[in-house]
Amino acid sequence: MPAGRVLVVLLVAMLVAALLNSEAIVRAGEGMNEGSTRDVVLSVGRPIDDVAGAVGLHLPRKGLDLAFGQEPKTASGTELEEGSTAILRRRRRGRAEPDYPQPSSGDPLDVLVTGDSQAEFVGQRLPDAAPSGLLRATVVARNSTGLTRPEFFNWEINAEQEIADRRPDAVVMVMGGNDGFNVLVDGELFGPFTPEWQTEYARRTAVVMRELGSDGRRPVYWAPSPTARDDEFDRIYRVQNFAVARAAQAVPGARYVNLYDNIDGGRYRATSRIDGQEVISRQTDGVHFTREGALAPARLVVAEMAKDFPVLRVGGP
Amino acid sequence: MTHVSFPTIEFAAFFLVVFVLSWLLMPHPRAWRPFILVASYVFYGWVDPRWVLLLVASSVINTFAAQVIARSPSAVTRKRALTGAIVFDLGLLCVFKYFGFFVSSMDDALDGIGLGSPLPLVQIVLPIGISFFTFQAISYVVDVYREDTRAASLGDVAILQAFFPHLVAGPIVRAEELLPQLRTPRDPRDVLAGPGLLLIAGGLVKKTVVADELARRIVDPVFTDPSAHSGAEVLLAVYGFAAQIYCDFSGYTDMAIGLALLLGFVLPQNFDRPYMATSLRQFWHRWHMTLSRWLRDYLYVPLGGNRDGPRRTYRNLMLTMLLGGLWHGAAWTFVIWGGIHGTALAAERQLRERLGAPRLPGWLAWLVTFHVVCLAWVFFRSPDLGIAFEVLGGVFSSGPSPLVTLPVLFLTVVAIAVQAIPPGWWRQAESWLVARPAMGQGVALGLLVVAADAAVGEQGVAPFIYYQF
Repeated sequence: MPAGRVLVVLLVAMLVAALLNSEAIVRAGEGMNEGSTRDVVLSVGRPIDDVAGAVGLHLPRKGLDLAFGQEPKTASGTELEEGSTAILRRRRRGRAEPDYPQPSSGDPLDVLVTGDSQAEFVGQRLPDAAPSGLLRATVVARNSTGLTRPEFFNWEINAEQEIADRRPDAVVMVMGGNDGFNVLVDGELFGPFTPEWQTEYARRTAVVMRELGSDGRRPVYWAPSPTARDDEFDRIYRVQNFAVARAAQAVPGARYVNLYDNIDGGRYRATSRIDGQEVISRQTDGVHFTREGALAPARLVVAEMAKDFPVLRVGGP
Repeated sequence: MTHVSFPTIEFAAFFLVVFVLSWLLMPHPRAWRPFILVASYVFYGWVDPRWVLLLVASSVINTFAAQVIARSPSAVTRKRALTGAIVFDLGLLCVFKYFGFFVSSMDDALDGIGLGSPLPLVQIVLPIGISFFTFQAISYVVDVYREDTRAASLGDVAILQAFFPHLVAGPIVRAEELLPQLRTPRDPRDVLAGPGLLLIAGGLVKKTVVADELARRIVDPVFTDPSAHSGAEVLLAVYGFAAQIYCDFSGYTDMAIGLALLLGFVLPQNFDRPYMATSLRQFWHRWHMTLSRWLRDYLYVPLGGNRDGPRRTYRNLMLTMLLGGLWHGAAWTFVIWGGIHGTALAAERQLRERLGAPRLPGWLAWLVTFHVVCLAWVFFRSPDLGIAFEVLGGVFSSGPSPLVTLPVLFLTVVAIAVQAIPPGWWRQAESWLVARPAMGQGVALGLLVVAADAAVGEQGVAPFIYYQF
């Protein structure tokens, strides 16, 4: 076949894919890091999406999503995007924590470990950090997601879907690595080092905590980012930790797991001493834990869980 | 590890530009060569441009060594140049891939005998594809040394190593397979688009619809915490991983070969229905074929192959497979994976030598071979030996099996059974595809991309398994 004809085939294929997949292209663009690639994808994708939407070309993709059992992860008008900060004051009304049923070896605790890519290894190591046979972890890591871009991935919707599908006994949320973006509050953009950003981040965290915990029916252990090698990331993660701690105080059943201060004394190290062995604990990006290093945060999570489930305390209740 | 992967928007745009410019420049080799080299370096350096320096250094050193080998009349000088190049290539692998493994294993050993003085652990970035381009470089200098190929210019060697379709995860291409093609401009009137497009489409489906779905629905949950799953789930996860890794890796290779075909170049085949093998020997003639022949020609044969009696042959088989395991990664799980294959190959050879022709019925030979391969996959997939043994023990545990679902069973069976389809059928499909109008082919390919993206969903395409090697 002549190269020119192959080019026609490729162009037609890309055009068909772009028209029928325009929503996914825009979403993918919105999920990219700031930069020229993102700008190009969005500046091409958005007009195509407008045209495709206007002539009903979104429908075939929606049908395929349905066929593959994919649920939409974005929506407009959710509380995550726009809501009241009143949620941050709710717990002050004085609700008591419920007593959760204690796990046993015959009926281990079903834990959903979710969040961004950091959740993967922490979730994998969670059973290793708990007494044998008392904890069963299901890990669902949603890579590249966070709370600052609900137009790309809405954690409120996802939390609702995951809880309805899985009905876990407890939830561990490990997230924050992708959350350095500005947020929109009352039509104005605020960066991570402003009080407005911190309050908004705390509010969004509280909304997702409430969904994951079904308003206190199950405990939620939220572990934001640990220290990072890069100074700017590190400062953002510190601020984020304050916001999550604030949210956890407001939502029934929510607990903040402080990885930031409790791993390596609050200072970034690429290697850590775990069980007497020096291991490479961080991946080369200076943020993610390695599988060996993930044992440390997993243990911190289990220690927090043991406050609700004393049998999980290593060495017994 | 982030990277530019084939099934992404970025790569689609990149390839379209490269495709057009490559064919426009093809009649002008002086312009085409630097273009394709720069394009390949852009692809490789997308995430971290420093990696390109490593690739350039590898090309420069190996070209220099090959030139010395080709020009020097002294056997001693030739041998020194060969040794120097191999030491450099293996040194790269050792530093970037095995340093951490060596230090932690040494540390464990010292700790075990009470000499617990930890060696310094250094965090080293593993450049993507280093195992592939290093093996390719070794094969090039050895081939020049053996006079199987002529020494090439720096530009040709650089393209041989960096040509982006095969750069990251193979196939491991030999100089004689690609260099002659680089020296003759490809004919733009005769692009092998039928097989190329079919391979790209097939690879996309294998990766997104089968491999990623199996990983998400059964393999990852079970291998994360085997003790939390029933025997039926564990068993299905083992078979599921066999299907996943085949679809993931052969899907990648199909796309790589397909993309190269659209640019006018033929890369060697890497898979030939491996799960239809009725012996381990046959399996290795069908699985990751370019690695198997590399191990045969540059390791097994130089070790003595089967020339020095049965004992040496078994030792050589075992050594080759153990090193083949280590090539995949610096972990004991990969060593055991290689050990299982080495032992099985040696045992098979011994049986063949003692009993003559195989006496097992074909279906039984297939069943045994497939299960030995699956047993080895358990170690390959497990993050550590503890999990591997938990998986093996977990096969016999009881309990509810919510992960054993019809879609998972269907995907697993189809991924394995589809290999029974005779190759002639695929060739007929290619001919049929080429005969369709360009518009129809484009629409079909576009619809397939949409369907694949819908199958993947919001989580996006997972990295190819072999990107980590």
